Amino acid sequence: MTTHFVRDAPIDARVAPAAAIAWPRRWHRAWFASPAMSALSLLLLALFAFACVRFFDWAIVRAHWLGQSSAACPGSDGACWAFVISRWKPWLVGNYPLAQIGRAWTCFGAFALFWIWVVRRPPAARPGPVLLGFVLLPIAFLLLLIGGGPLSFVAPTQIGGLLLTLVVTLATFATALPIGLCIALGRRSEWPLVRALCGLFVEGMRAVPLLAVLFIAATLLPMFLPRGIDVDLFSRAVIAFALFNAAMAAEVFRGGLQAIGRGQIEAATTVGLSRFATLRLIVLPQAIRAVVPALVNIMIAVVKETTLLSVIGVNDLLGAVEIGAKSPDWVGEANILTSGYVFLALAYLAVCHGLSRYSRRLELSS
Amino acid sequence: MPTDAAAIASARASGDAPILRMQAINKWYGDYHALRDIDLVVDAGERIVVCGPSGSGKSTLVRTVNLLEPFEQGRVQVCGIDVAADAITRAARLAVNRRVGMVFQQFNLFPHMSVLANLTVGPVFGRGVRRAEAHELAMHYLARVGLTDHAQKRPAELSGGQQQRVAIARALCTRPQLVLFDEPTAALDPEMVNEVLQTMESLAADGMTMIVVTHEMGFARRVADRVVFMDQGQIIEIAKPDDFFERPQSRRLASFLSRILTH
Repeated sequence: MTTHFVRDAPIDARVAPAAAIAWPRRWHRAWFASPAMSALSLLLLALFAFACVRFFDWAIVRAHWLGQSSAACPGSDGACWAFVISRWKPWLVGNYPLAQIGRAWTCFGAFALFWIWVVRRPPAARPGPVLLGFVLLPIAFLLLLIGGGPLSFVAPTQIGGLLLTLVVTLATFATALPIGLCIALGRRSEWPLVRALCGLFVEGMRAVPLLAVLFIAATLLPMFLPRGIDVDLFSRAVIAFALFNAAMAAEVFRGGLQAIGRGQIEAATTVGLSRFATLRLIVLPQAIRAVVPALVNIMIAVVKETTLLSVIGVNDLLGAVEIGAKSPDWVGEANILTSGYVFLALAYLAVCHGLSRYSRRLELSS
Repeated sequence: MPTDAAAIASARASGDAPILRMQAINKWYGDYHALRDIDLVVDAGERIVVCGPSGSGKSTLVRTVNLLEPFEQGRVQVCGIDVAADAITRAARLAVNRRVGMVFQQFNLFPHMSVLANLTVGPVFGRGVRRAEAHELAMHYLARVGLTDHAQKRPAELSGGQQQRVAIARALCTRPQLVLFDEPTAALDPEMVNEVLQTMESLAADGMTMIVVTHEMGFARRVADRVVFMDQGQIIEIAKPDDFFERPQSRRLASFLSRILTH
């Protein structure tokens, strides 16, 4: 037995073996490890296949694609996509005047380009320009869509459908984030009154359902405003959304601020930075970077929350389905409404899934 | 609290007054009496090493010098600024920290900035030094600590020893009159301790006034003008290194030395 070992030639690094276990065996182990697992796997596969076949049959094979009224969709065994296709305008832009629709396309196009730019940036890049874009875009969109001056004026309540979802989500984001950040900082203020008020706001908003906030904004708010000042339903809804989500964002930012260690602040103090400079240069850049994935999750929530707008009579996507199903041309078949809802769900799924993939990627990179 | 100008004027007027004078400092954490009647005077150019068992108040002591820790009784006069226990304001802390540098056990570099930005952020945004000037200063001190090639890297790309050398350069970039070291080698892997100690020794050779909390007794012997021994929040013994290690006067220091020097 050696008690004294000396290596005389160094060992060169070798590449790792490609795969320790060949894929059929890996697959077999994952799915059919035991008789009970095998049975469960087969059962779940069968259920999944059955559901897929039924949906495919309903949504593709037996679907009715073209037509201008419920006469195009007899029976209830297939989807009525004719309802969706012929009513593309309420879906996409609501009551926005057809003559001005180019302005709506510009918004969709601009956002698509912006989003492509955002997802193609390396995840570690500075979040500043993206956040700035999210603040500037909704302002530009609202100016363009509502118009005035050289552009003809369009009432904001005429914006609807997917365009409304886009504009409300962006406008909510652009207002809720700065307010939320201020409130999060306010909760750490040295002034007890500011701390208390910010805490009260956050706790209050978190304790009230969004729907209640929306109703209050829609019905109660006008009573508090001075006579002569009339805020339209669209703006009231955006204000309610912004305040509600500011509370959510404040909680997210608070977490980010708490994650910055005391050592960072002490080090900033010892190099002579004032409290404000420390906040701006040391604390916020780190805190905001840490919470970007959580902010994207808030955005996903806002996208889905826009469906609540139909309840107070704003023409969002859900509203477009319901109004469409009540119109004289399409009234009658329950299948028509179902098709509308399924389309709605798929549209939201596409948008939110894209956002959540983006959020996941940001999380993995940090 | 005196204004900056008044503080500088009083520092000049006093000529070669000590750079630090701590008078009857008492500090409590809740009911725990963490610092007890601390009196310590440090002259310009002196190198002080503070040692003692863990929990003896060494770190707390140096952190009261630059007011990172508030204290309940006593007064600190540091770099011409006189701060009594009831006058520890944010402005006083800022004024003191613009004259005193600090190196932490955990480095506390700013992870989202390059090494160079770590060095320039204090001078540029804290003292209003012009960017080009701060850049030049930073490159000068990076060369001092032997890290010129790493200026554009992020702290996480450096080894622990390199990070601590960056932290030393960062402290020097604020042109401090006094640098505090709070166990600067305690978080390092053993093979990196020496590069940091050597950097500190070269700083001492240049005449920088330093207060160093450390367990590196070899460093204390080689570099210190005086060694301070603390236990239970009190200063037990202050002596020149030879006397400190060879002829300890108090029983507590003798037993401390016998425990750490025999292995």
